[in-house]
Amino acid sequence: MVDETTALLAIALMAAVTLLTRIGGVVIMSFVPITPRIEAFLRHLAMSVIVALVVPAAVKGGPTAMLAVATAGLVMVLTRSAVGAMLAGVACAALLRALPL
Amino acid sequence: MNAHGAPARTARTATLTLRGVVDGAREIAPVAIFVIPFGIAFGAAAIEKGLPATLSVLMSALVFAGASQFAALDLWASPMPYLMLALTVFAVNARHILLGAALAPWLLHLPVAKRYAVLSVLSDPNWAQATRALQRGETDAGLILGSGLLMWVAWILATAVGAVLGANLGDLTRFGFDVLMISFFTAAVVGQWRGLPDLVPWIVAAAVALVGAWVLPFGWHVVAGALAGGITGALRHG
Repeated sequence: MVDETTALLAIALMAAVTLLTRIGGVVIMSFVPITPRIEAFLRHLAMSVIVALVVPAAVKGGPTAMLAVATAGLVMVLTRSAVGAMLAGVACAALLRALPL
Repeated sequence: MNAHGAPARTARTATLTLRGVVDGAREIAPVAIFVIPFGIAFGAAAIEKGLPATLSVLMSALVFAGASQFAALDLWASPMPYLMLALTVFAVNARHILLGAALAPWLLHLPVAKRYAVLSVLSDPNWAQATRALQRGETDAGLILGSGLLMWVAWILATAVGAVLGANLGDLTRFGFDVLMISFFTAAVVGQWRGLPDLVPWIVAAAVALVGAWVLPFGWHVVAGALAGGITGALRHG
């Protein structure tokens, strides 16, 4: 059993580390001149973060997750609505899981 | 859609208005609703680990980063492995550094106090939303603050519900909520598509992240994939 003082210390540590990650990127960039090359890097970095989040998660999630992602992507192309795409992805996964496969 | 990789619209100014805060909260609301099952799952899991409701709610309020909070529960023991805990939380949340850096050309136009207030509620969904807003030429960072605050409140309340009701609720993620975030992020990627020149950096990011997911310690594959994609893009277009 973790006593309360230890738990509070651990939570404070987690909070400090997480806050550092949240502000760290902007703190670092405040020392780096934003040249066109740096700007191109940041722009591709932004999209690459999402790609790097989605692709392994979809692969690890198996066919259901991959089909959900494909559905979400398709709905986004057709409707340009992020919320619609999100709901379509969830509905697709729920439907696939409800099927007696 | 803007073919041939035309340069991104990058804000040359930044503001922070109450209007923006309200709009940001309203826009993220459908996503925030779906954060609730994860918050409930976290509260319930924390109770099972012997973490009282007051402390799990405090953790959600101060840390506000779901994946790292779940990871912390795996390490929650006496004696507390503080170093391991700090390293794990850093690894899982290191991608925030990149999210923040990507917003830097925008947020650096804000006064310091406002800049860091906005960043303190930065999370994946509200960052994805903010990136889309920036593309359409928005300059109001209140969007990030408002959406972040709503996600934060939803996360805290859901943790409290989970901690009080515990495992009685069962696993709410079975309804497909687990694919919610990746669907939302997929929409964000597709919405940002600016033609074929984007494809190579994305493929590099996906490939590195995928390999990294198997060979790197937990959490680092996102950082590795993102850096690889960013560097590829800079080399091709810089």
